Amino acid sequence: MAEVRLDSVIKYYDNVLAVDDVSLTMKDGDFVALLGPSGCGKTTTLNLIAGLIEISDGEIWIGDRDVTDLDPKDRDIAMVFQNYALYPTKTVYGNLAFPLQMRKASKDQIDERVRRTAEMLSISHLLERRPRELSGGQQQRVALGRALVRDPRVFLMDEPLSNLDAKLRVQMRAELKRFHQDLNATMIYVTHDQLEAMTMADNIAVMSDGRVQQYGPPEEIFYDPANLFVAGFIGSPAMNFLYGEVVVEGGVTSVKGDEGWEYPLTPENAQKASHATNGRIIIGARPANFILSREEAPGLIPGSIYTVEPTGDSTFVHITIGEQIFVAITDPFFRADPDDPIWIDLEDERIHVFDEGTEEVLRVDGLNSQSQHGRRTLQPA
Amino acid sequence: MAVTTPQQATGQVAIRASREPRNVFVRMYRQWADYAYIFPALFAMFFVIAYPIAYTIYLSFYSTPTAGDNVWNGLTNYTSIITAERFWMITQNTMYWTIVSTILAFIIGTGAALIAQREFIGRGLVRGIFLIPWVISHVATAYIWVWIFHSDYGLVSGMLMDLGIISSPLVILDSTTWAMPALILVNVWKDFPFIMIMMLAGLQTVPDHLIRAAKMDGASTWQQFRHVTLPHLKGVIIITLLLTIVMNLNHFTLPWIMTGGGPASTTHIWITEVYALAFRSLRFGIASAFSVVLFIIMMSMAYFYVKAMTAGDDRRR
Repeated sequence: MAEVRLDSVIKYYDNVLAVDDVSLTMKDGDFVALLGPSGCGKTTTLNLIAGLIEISDGEIWIGDRDVTDLDPKDRDIAMVFQNYALYPTKTVYGNLAFPLQMRKASKDQIDERVRRTAEMLSISHLLERRPRELSGGQQQRVALGRALVRDPRVFLMDEPLSNLDAKLRVQMRAELKRFHQDLNATMIYVTHDQLEAMTMADNIAVMSDGRVQQYGPPEEIFYDPANLFVAGFIGSPAMNFLYGEVVVEGGVTSVKGDEGWEYPLTPENAQKASHATNGRIIIGARPANFILSREEAPGLIPGSIYTVEPTGDSTFVHITIGEQIFVAITDPFFRADPDDPIWIDLEDERIHVFDEGTEEVLRVDGLNSQSQHGRRTLQPA
Repeated sequence: MAVTTPQQATGQVAIRASREPRNVFVRMYRQWADYAYIFPALFAMFFVIAYPIAYTIYLSFYSTPTAGDNVWNGLTNYTSIITAERFWMITQNTMYWTIVSTILAFIIGTGAALIAQREFIGRGLVRGIFLIPWVISHVATAYIWVWIFHSDYGLVSGMLMDLGIISSPLVILDSTTWAMPALILVNVWKDFPFIMIMMLAGLQTVPDHLIRAAKMDGASTWQQFRHVTLPHLKGVIIITLLLTIVMNLNHFTLPWIMTGGGPASTTHIWITEVYALAFRSLRFGIASAFSVVLFIIMMSMAYFYVKAMTAGDDRRR
């Protein structure tokens, strides 16, 4: 087991910058998710760690070894691929034995480890089959087994669950998490599915445009997003963003929304808003932080019902404010007709204030400690 | 309201199945349009393929004197072919020619494919150069190499003499020892691009993720080739080898133009022998019998070829 450290890693494909100065430290035994939309550079980052593609600049360390220029086979890492990449002409046994054979393990040793791994994954009865005779879930287990069998220092996983059906995915997710806890291995897991990242990872690196936007535990990513991208990417339904101008009248700071509403800020939020570079902020409020009222009152944001979606546990209320539609989550029995007027209050201690110019989160002291532009190695908080 | 029980449902299926006519002619009649579409092709094939084959088989049982009518002589043509020492010598030549040509062309072609598949500056040019032998016609190739091997004016002799490696001109195509190797050399030069193209096409279908998995598993370049690429290419290799073997067995132009079977019949192979028997010696009966023997050999090769092709189909299904 080992720590993995990326130091100012840069990758160009021809002239396209795929990974832009990424520095990350993945602690020994951590389960780290690289999360982001497609094209954000997460898989490229994983392949750089694996050594499958050549790095343009920067360093990669595994434990106390600089592996930047080492071949994949010399890095002592294993990888689980999205489409499993099982050798179609080999049996399950042959697939599991292959990495050990390549490392010149003795026949007895190979046999013992293959059988033990198969047992662990409950695939002992499949050892003589070929990959095409297996179901998706079974192939997934074999792929996992091939990574486990030689006890590597680091596991890399490239969207390993994305080819499974929804039910199996939930099951394998729990199994993977349990494996990680049992093995206590360093795992780096690429996914575009925030639910996978949130449920399994100890730390999440949210990536976009080849950069790490935020790196920290799931709760921090969710409750304390560093910028507008992270705030909008994490959470479902997505966070609502209200754009407005900061106005101070008679000692009271409020936001004057582009749609004409005016919302007073608490002293703390006013303090945050005061750091806005051009006097404009974005208020981020998760759907659950909208408080709906049918009565007009001062300091509430007026809107009208667009549609109401009961989901059983709760109700999603789509609300039109000006031209935009926002989503609120409310109690399961809330009902309303389209175009009914509605007034919105926000849970002030739960909302986020972003600078409209930089799209970075604004804090009381004005500093964003998670900003990645400082070019430091990001340690999970 | 009708409620369908499982029993009834199976009953219905059984009825529907029984309505499918058992009689093959009835089924063919129902698909008459399909047969109509392939009729023109079948009709043409009858005259250019089926009829000549049938006539060849017919002739193979006759003695065909240059003057007078054909005379039935049963299996005499066949027995005289097989008992003649010359047949076995020519068979030996054919095997030598086919096996050595195929193996060498396969090794060189596969090597060329592996080179041409790599990404490097000037790859397109290299691929183009490798293809040159394939696009030159056989006849032109034959004459070019006859000239290159010519003992008095040829490039090989000339260069070796200029370099002082030999003192007198090399006799190549007129040498009983060197004529066949020289022919094989030309044949390999001519054929390796075909194998390169086939193998290149195969190589490009090797899934990249398998190669990457093998790299992660610690396989060296050779081990990646041995454990991933080669098993993946098995089908392509079998088909390419079979096609090349059949091509070589049937090869006529190069040996006929370059040596005409000589010297002392050392470069005669089956096909040139049949041609010489029929159109030089005008012994059509015996040439026909020879052709029938070759036909049987070729058809057995074709059997394996078709089997290899359809095995791939099964795997895809």
